[in-house]
Amino acid sequence: MIDVQGLQKSYKDFQAVNNSNFHVEEGEIFGFLGPNGAGKSTTINILSTMLQPTSGSVTINGYDVTKHQNRVRESIGIIFQQNTLDEKLTAKENLKLHCKFYGVPRSKRKARINEVLEIVDLTDSINLLVEKFSGGMQRRLEIARGLLHYPKVLFLDEPTVGLDPQTRAHVWEYILKLKENENITMFLTTHYLDEAEISDRIAIMDHGDIIAIDTPRNLKQQLGGDIVEIKTTDNEAAMKEIESDFDVVDLSLQDGFINCKVENSDAFVSSFIKTLQTPLTGLDIRKPTLNDVFLSFTGREIRD
Amino acid sequence: MEGIIAIWQRDMIKFFRDRARMIGSFSMPILFLVVFGVGMGGAMESLVASGIGTDEDFNYVEFIFPGIVSMTLLMTSVFSSLSVIQDRDFGYMREILVSPVSRVNIALGKMLGSASVAFVQGVMMFVLMPFLGISIDLVTLLQLLPVMFMIACAFSSLGLLVASLLNSMQGFQLVVNILVMPMIFLSGALFPLSNMPGWVDFIVTLNPVTYGVDLMKNIMIDVDNLSATVQEEMGLNLTFFGQPVTMTGEVFFLLGFTALLILLATLMFRRKN
Repeated sequence: MIDVQGLQKSYKDFQAVNNSNFHVEEGEIFGFLGPNGAGKSTTINILSTMLQPTSGSVTINGYDVTKHQNRVRESIGIIFQQNTLDEKLTAKENLKLHCKFYGVPRSKRKARINEVLEIVDLTDSINLLVEKFSGGMQRRLEIARGLLHYPKVLFLDEPTVGLDPQTRAHVWEYILKLKENENITMFLTTHYLDEAEISDRIAIMDHGDIIAIDTPRNLKQQLGGDIVEIKTTDNEAAMKEIESDFDVVDLSLQDGFINCKVENSDAFVSSFIKTLQTPLTGLDIRKPTLNDVFLSFTGREIRD
Repeated sequence: MEGIIAIWQRDMIKFFRDRARMIGSFSMPILFLVVFGVGMGGAMESLVASGIGTDEDFNYVEFIFPGIVSMTLLMTSVFSSLSVIQDRDFGYMREILVSPVSRVNIALGKMLGSASVAFVQGVMMFVLMPFLGISIDLVTLLQLLPVMFMIACAFSSLGLLVASLLNSMQGFQLVVNILVMPMIFLSGALFPLSNMPGWVDFIVTLNPVTYGVDLMKNIMIDVDNLSATVQEEMGLNLTFFGQPVTMTGEVFFLLGFTALLILLATLMFRRKN
């Protein structure tokens, strides 16, 4: 659905994007992460026809972003980081204008407006001025608006920034609902790494380069595995057992817990529970988080 | 095409919803009408009368009213066009720019939006006519309205180009001071511009407001019934680098001006993204 090849963008004395290549499949949620200034926004701006690339080719829905700008624009919906609703207009007016910008046939407008408002639970607020909306409602309205013209690809640029945790959860709920029901391809950037977990695949960008691209699961596995914390009635005996019977990366005793670092905790735990002779009193599996992944790839936290 | 209408429609909805702005934008023209029309009217009338040497019946308010309406058109057009900057600051411009609406249609829609707002404001000035002792017949009115809309289009395209060049609202006051005010003063809208030094004359000749004002005056004032001296004194005999200016010429000048500026504004929209 999105195909990026050899994409470069340079300004006078600064290379914003460096020979990027990636491919996003139809129906996929593609997470695009990177610290501030990594080249994320530049990439999104190029993909959404707002910026011309210096070199390389980008096609979305089969259309080249430099040659068929309008075809690309029709194929995509964008939820910007910044609020781009007209607050002096009602929800309905905002949506109607969007239909006109995108040439949604007149006869279908009313049904579509009701349909997208239903998805984001704003049907009751249709005639309310947007300035009366709460932050979360405005976000949801923007998502609804982005869907009005049935885009093939939805760009979500920090869709939950500045929202309280509850509203954030809500917004993601709607986004996942969309993926299930509409099979829309989503290109997502976010600062909240726990939110990026919903992606099918994640690309990490730093200093204009894409330095990793894989499923969240694989990325975390690359870190060298999970940590399984075990407590037994006899830790010494249990450790000996584990050492002789299982393939572990690292084994240590800490604060009354046995810390096993294993490549794949699922496989380890299932066989471990069956065979361990010493009675088990406690078990905790800690998977590495995307934050650990991010840290190991970029050497810094996402917020730095 | 639908994109033009949508952008235009948005400006109209917002204009009619914002009563305060509608009323507020009357303050300036009314102030000028009072200062120049009533305040300076007597002095101007006797000045002109002494210049001609006859006591031909001459009403200065009648002379200045088309000028004040043009001024309303100019100021409202330019100010409305500057909403483009606000759209940029508040993000709505991105919603428009990422849509498949062509850049030329964005510029046209914005221009028509501002022009319509200015046109409505200009027409609303007619409410003052009875208080000023001016009357207008239906035929004159029907001639006047399309001309007013065309003038508003020209001024709006100017405002749009300026807005696309400015980066912030900070530049706004500057634009008013260095562009709008001189354009009003050097257009013959408020006082006749006869016997000016050459360089002033040059500016007056290139000032699009000059032709807008002159068109309005020619339609609203019964020019043919004024004596040649009054016409001369009131600056009604415009020349364009030595050539006498006709009303057709003025219409073409304004249309050409509008087309050129829309083109430039479109290029700016294209470059900006």
